[in-house]
Amino acid sequence: MGSSVRKGKAVLPAEEAARPSSPRREQPQRAAAEDYHHAAQNANNGQAITASCKNKDTDLQFKIQAYIDKNTVMIFSNTACSLSAKVKELFKSMSVPYCSLELDKTEDGQKLQDALYELTMETSVPIVFVQQKQIGDYDKILKAHKEGKIQKLLETKGHDYMQDSYDYDLIVIGGGSGGLAASKEAAKYGKKVMVLDYVTPTPQGTRWGLGGTCVNVGCIPKKLMHQAALLGQALQDSRKFGWQFEEKVKHSWETMTEAVQNYIGSLNWGYRVSLREKEVTYENAYGEFVGPHTIKATNNKGKEKFYTAEKFLIATGERPRYLGVPGDKEYCISSDDLFSLPYCPGKTLVVGASYVALECAGFLAGLGLDVTVMVRSILLRGFDQEMANKIGEHMEEHGVKFIKQFVPTKIEQLEEGTPGKLKVIAQSTDGREITEGEYNTVLLAVGRDTCTRTIGLDKVGVKINERSGKIPVSDEEQTNVPYIYAIGDVLEGKLELTPVAIQAGRLLARRLYAGTTLKCDYVNVPTTVFTPLEYGACGFSEETALEKFGEENIEVYHSYFWPLEWTVPSRDNNKCYAKIICNIQDNERVIGFHVLGPNAGEVTQGFSAAIKCGLTKAQLDNTIGIHPVCAEIFTTLSETKRSGGNVLQSGC
Amino acid sequence: MGWEEKAARSYGGFVQAAQQSRGRPVFALFCGDKDAQGRSWCPDCVTAEPVVRSELNSLPDGSVFIYCQVGDRAYWKDPNNEFRKNLKLTGVPTLLKYGTPQKLVEEECLNRELVHMLFTED
Repeated sequence: MGSSVRKGKAVLPAEEAARPSSPRREQPQRAAAEDYHHAAQNANNGQAITASCKNKDTDLQFKIQAYIDKNTVMIFSNTACSLSAKVKELFKSMSVPYCSLELDKTEDGQKLQDALYELTMETSVPIVFVQQKQIGDYDKILKAHKEGKIQKLLETKGHDYMQDSYDYDLIVIGGGSGGLAASKEAAKYGKKVMVLDYVTPTPQGTRWGLGGTCVNVGCIPKKLMHQAALLGQALQDSRKFGWQFEEKVKHSWETMTEAVQNYIGSLNWGYRVSLREKEVTYENAYGEFVGPHTIKATNNKGKEKFYTAEKFLIATGERPRYLGVPGDKEYCISSDDLFSLPYCPGKTLVVGASYVALECAGFLAGLGLDVTVMVRSILLRGFDQEMANKIGEHMEEHGVKFIKQFVPTKIEQLEEGTPGKLKVIAQSTDGREITEGEYNTVLLAVGRDTCTRTIGLDKVGVKINERSGKIPVSDEEQTNVPYIYAIGDVLEGKLELTPVAIQAGRLLARRLYAGTTLKCDYVNVPTTVFTPLEYGACGFSEETALEKFGEENIEVYHSYFWPLEWTVPSRDNNKCYAKIICNIQDNERVIGFHVLGPNAGEVTQGFSAAIKCGLTKAQLDNTIGIHPVCAEIFTTLSETKRSGGNVLQSGC
Repeated sequence: MGWEEKAARSYGGFVQAAQQSRGRPVFALFCGDKDAQGRSWCPDCVTAEPVVRSELNSLPDGSVFIYCQVGDRAYWKDPNNEFRKNLKLTGVPTLLKYGTPQKLVEEECLNRELVHMLFTED
């Protein structure tokens, strides 16, 4: 009702000022906004002037920004909206002059409203700005008024209003395990948080949604596919337990992948709902530093936005490394591509000896595919080598071929297709032999590189390890730049595990915003490798323990065991293996725990808590086992390696 | 082009409406049946419907919005009802984007920003 003009200011747009061609939100834009606004102020009060608006988003945003900048109180409103009327009444009652723009009465009002949404994330009017600070809708204005914030803003001209100096309290670059945990925790303490997440497509064009590596191309799909393989084995075993079915059991890669991707999709969606509910702003955009306290966010259409924050958290993680040989990027896939591959990979060569390589090779073989693993030197570098070799042996006995001490030098395409046919030429590490092979798919799993080289760290002075790309941090995850922190796989010298990143992220947010002092404990972190024969570990490997404490101060207890469930179907005896490493000088404290067998992760979790409590061999011996389960072996370990006694089993 | 609304009652009715809309984005709101006065037995559904309707104008062009009444309270409580079995619905109101894992359940439907996100983002 009524005209669009309120309280003494003409609000209708005037003719457009000439615009500079750059759309960047820097000096040129300021000049344009000012030009425009002088024109507006020079317009006659009360005279309706329509704008010759070009159809560009940036022009509308300039317009809106101009209104916000030039008015102490700016209300974006609608004549039909009762809340808009209420908000104006409120300011009138405070005797505060305001400027209001009635979007329903303005030409291009709908487009302005859309541009407003982009700027403010508010979907309805009224939207109120006080001293250029976005307060929000009627409820938020009422609340701010009751808390005296409006008065304060007006009195101090916005300078003392703390949040006004930066757009956000915290901007998190990377929406993976660490980034999401930290951002949600910070939001709990009322902080204004933004998360930027962006997936650069793989050379094959694969991309995925919010959640990071673990959810999309790591732990989650890996474990599900590992389970698919285990079920295949269970089906075979089931005949011995009396199940009768005639057909040969077949596996559909497409059915499995669709189900896995569907689940991942629900996780991506769940994270977005969760962020929205906690009022964490999320943008699907590539974040990089451009200057102190400032980042640039570029979305997949190339649109750039700039944001400032008091603190930053780098949680950008890693991506698979390529070999750097001809044909690698064109024809090979990585773990980034495998879990959403729309066709069965067929006969596969896995290059690498990491847990990624062995886990993938393991479940592919378990699904019935012809799998070969090409290894440059040792398996599972950094893990207990006795256990690593047992894993390799088990895989070999179950049909996985290994080509040891070779590296690929060239990959050629013989036939296109889904899958196609590839030729791999490889050279032995001593240089003497060349070998060739044909495969449908080549999966590279030769390591992962941190995403730290193209996010503008040099612009803000964050030091990284030039060789590895990793970021060194203090024990409080602070980089050399005090307002910039980092967590997760990008960190130098820390375990690359989801729960570690989550814990570090949560504790960091609590230290920053809830006044706690607890730091992340990176010692005795349990892990599990989900190879066909699973391996769980916590604490020292045997080699590292020997090196640190000396052979005479270490006692290693060990034994093979035969899971009861494996007896009836005549599955391997004397393959599952348990080992603990004890520190003789410290009451035979358990400093290393290793188990190779089914459900290794479930078994290891409980023992890792005991190790955190300072578990000793005597306490373990005093613990009565549960029968009949695999884990009970740990309560009856008696043979030591030192004694050389026989640890082979002959049954329960 | 805008969007189109279809009404459905029963699971079979919903499936038919969805099949008729093949090739277009389909969004569906599942609510408890309304009585003669037009009021659903499900209080959250009563609150959610206007919130969802207020966001319908942000639906992508060519979308179909199916308003589906799932049945009376007794039918809904039956753990084997067709909606639970076939669509895996766990509660009413449920607002979902058909053919994707994207959905909002119960209180989430009352949050206008979440509804907007479901309608407009991939």
